[in-house]
Amino acid sequence: MAGLKTAELKTAELKDSELGISASPLSPLTAIVVVRWQIMANSLRSTCGRVDLFARITMWVAFTAAGIGGAYGLGQQAGRFISQGRAEFISILLWPIFVFWQLFPLLTTAFSENLESSSLLRFPISYRTYFFVRVVSGSLDAANALGVLWLLGIAIGITSVNKELLPWSSVALLAFATTNILLARVLFVWLEHWLARRRTRELMAILFFLLIISAQLVGPLMTGALSARMSADSKPHTTPISRGLGAAQRLLPPRLAAATIAESARKNPRARTEVFLLLLSYGAIFLLLLHLRLRAQYRGEYLGEASSPSDVAKTRMRYAGWDVPGVSAATAAVLEKEFRYLSRSGPALLTFVTPVFMLLVFRSSGRGFFLSDSPQYAFPFAAAYSLLLLANLIYNVFGADGAGVVLFFTSPASFRQVVAAKNIGHAALLTADFAMAGIAAALLFSIPPMSIVAGTLAWILFAVPINLALGNVISILSPKKLDWGTFGRQRASRIAILTSFAVQIFTVGIGAGVWLTSGRMGSVWFATLIFLALAMVSVAGYKFVLNRIDSLAQKHEEALIFELAKS
Amino acid sequence: MDSAAIATEMLSRKFSDVMAVEDVNLQVAAGQFFGFLGPNGAGKSTTIKMLTGLLAPTSGKIKILGLDLATHLTEVKRQIGVVPESMALLGRLTGPEYLNFVGRMYGLDRETAAKRSAELLDFMQIADQHRKLITDYSHGMQKKLAMAAAVIHGPKVLFLDEPFEGVDAIAAGTLKSMLQRMISRGATIFLTTHVLEIVERLCSHVAIIHHGRLVAQGSLEELRAGVESKVAAANGDSIQANSSSNAKLTLEQIFLLTVGGSSSTERELSWLS
Repeated sequence: MAGLKTAELKTAELKDSELGISASPLSPLTAIVVVRWQIMANSLRSTCGRVDLFARITMWVAFTAAGIGGAYGLGQQAGRFISQGRAEFISILLWPIFVFWQLFPLLTTAFSENLESSSLLRFPISYRTYFFVRVVSGSLDAANALGVLWLLGIAIGITSVNKELLPWSSVALLAFATTNILLARVLFVWLEHWLARRRTRELMAILFFLLIISAQLVGPLMTGALSARMSADSKPHTTPISRGLGAAQRLLPPRLAAATIAESARKNPRARTEVFLLLLSYGAIFLLLLHLRLRAQYRGEYLGEASSPSDVAKTRMRYAGWDVPGVSAATAAVLEKEFRYLSRSGPALLTFVTPVFMLLVFRSSGRGFFLSDSPQYAFPFAAAYSLLLLANLIYNVFGADGAGVVLFFTSPASFRQVVAAKNIGHAALLTADFAMAGIAAALLFSIPPMSIVAGTLAWILFAVPINLALGNVISILSPKKLDWGTFGRQRASRIAILTSFAVQIFTVGIGAGVWLTSGRMGSVWFATLIFLALAMVSVAGYKFVLNRIDSLAQKHEEALIFELAKS
Repeated sequence: MDSAAIATEMLSRKFSDVMAVEDVNLQVAAGQFFGFLGPNGAGKSTTIKMLTGLLAPTSGKIKILGLDLATHLTEVKRQIGVVPESMALLGRLTGPEYLNFVGRMYGLDRETAAKRSAELLDFMQIADQHRKLITDYSHGMQKKLAMAAAVIHGPKVLFLDEPFEGVDAIAAGTLKSMLQRMISRGATIFLTTHVLEIVERLCSHVAIIHHGRLVAQGSLEELRAGVESKVAAANGDSIQANSSSNAKLTLEQIFLLTVGGSSSTERELSWLS
């Protein structure tokens, strides 16, 4: 015992350097970068990995083009505002950037890569290092890259017109960028925390709903304010609510960053300092909120759902599964499982209701969008948008099953049955989404004519089977394990993303072409006939794929299980 | 080969240039509790995956309950239960939901699936966690649930890949008693584990795989006799010492002597105090 104590003391006295430990916070970050690089390099050993890299490069080229193009356009507009002496109008440019920066990572979790905190906390790192690594590694995503590029464009646009504004516009936009990055991290870690428990998860779904609705009010508010101030002759027609919201948005980061630049242009140092300090205070608050969450994680919080004593008393509770008439027991079981997974997934529920929000956005944005001129097309637009959003689900049907996919191979149910059940579930979800979109389109825009409704339904019959067929194939060839319980931290297959985009472009392109052609021919009903003819082909294609799904799954069984069952 | 519950003939699996399993001829009689042993990377998991239809062999034949796995895959799956290494759980379902799901995937009707689920959860002592998502279960509870899922349809042959890994003594006792009851009712169990004491206590027959090749197969006594005679013939001082003390070779000793394992206790790592 005495010997043991001596040994413990001897070990405790050893310095980090003697143990070969680096105290630098950059050390774990470097290790993470290296390990990600090694994972990427190792993935190139397989054809799937090489295609995935190609898809990744293609996406980053697209993002870079959007970033540079957006930066150029925003820079031009910012320069125009400065030359017109309306520097505060830069907030009109900053608001969409702000909304994009916060919502894009949440809505398109496929593009965001986040670090699993548990994988990092295994190691003897200080809290300072943990905080640093979580913030930095979580910030390397498309939204941040695009946001920074766009702000850079605005800064260049401003200084190209007025060089004196270089220092303060740079400082203000830098503070704005930092605030955005921190807020995005705060949203992720807090959402993750709340979504870990079922009760707060349900509450969060409602809160998120309200948050997005309130975000949509920014559009009309800005449009109203802009049109009111742009035309000197007209008086703004604003309601007390919009006036209140207008006053509130003056205190929010986009407006504060713009006001810092505007006060700098007016050479009003006191007002400039005030608004800038207010902007900085947001950064400080977000930093504090992030610290609170990460500190709790670092100390080892438990996010599971421990059973309450009342649960223990309710033993021997018998649970009978769904009884779905007309389908086999296996199909009913998979359908029920899909429903339960979807209903317990915050991101999936959010995806489900997003098309209606988008209609709200376009309804509230007033003029300038084609739906305001052609409201009858709101339903087809929302239907196409629904399909686009649910592509993440359709093109990775086994992603959420993880290691559970093994069960589909060990059970006597055929893979065809499993896939068909999943397709039925997703088709039901799409139908519900289309119905919801149709009702929202009728309420927010106008009741579409029967010819448009029939044409849209026929287009759906054409587009959905194509998506399901290709989605089934891609799900087997390029699966990715997903956790539907968390926002972010999802790495969908790039091949799946690219394929789904290509299919959406194809189906929407054909749809638009057919609508235009039939419109020119004088009868929109003609579109319905063409879509129905195309639907027959696509349904036949779907059947063709489904009939071969067992052999395809058998051929790729090892790779599928390996990808989804790995921890 | 036809009378055996599990039989393989020249079973091989090649990954690129690596021969993971080579010419394995297994014979497991009906009603046997069979332990399948081997060092890490010897080919145990690859073999069990092939036996359960999760991996296609490069060559060779597999017969389960007299049925050729290649041509009667679905029929075989209906009669076997599997606890794979990954456990194959669906983390975002509750325990009862998962067991019902598995039961119905095996073709049980709703009532039977519900009844058996409730009984299994109760037997495994996890019925009090019926509202908890599986992802929030402890590792031991997940193992118990995976085991429950493997037997819900009453399989005739059960394949278990490391079922006792991470399971506490109480849970292990529950699992062992269930397995022994299955054996007494005529089921066949094919078990891979690194816990040799469990194999020694539960299994009547054992096979050892090493570098993808089957190096020993038979009852424990047959293996013991084989190893003793082989080592004695090759000049085995330690065996003589064992024999002189009339102590039987433990399974661990048999295993180490068969696969040629050496102890690393004499080696030292300079930086460990």
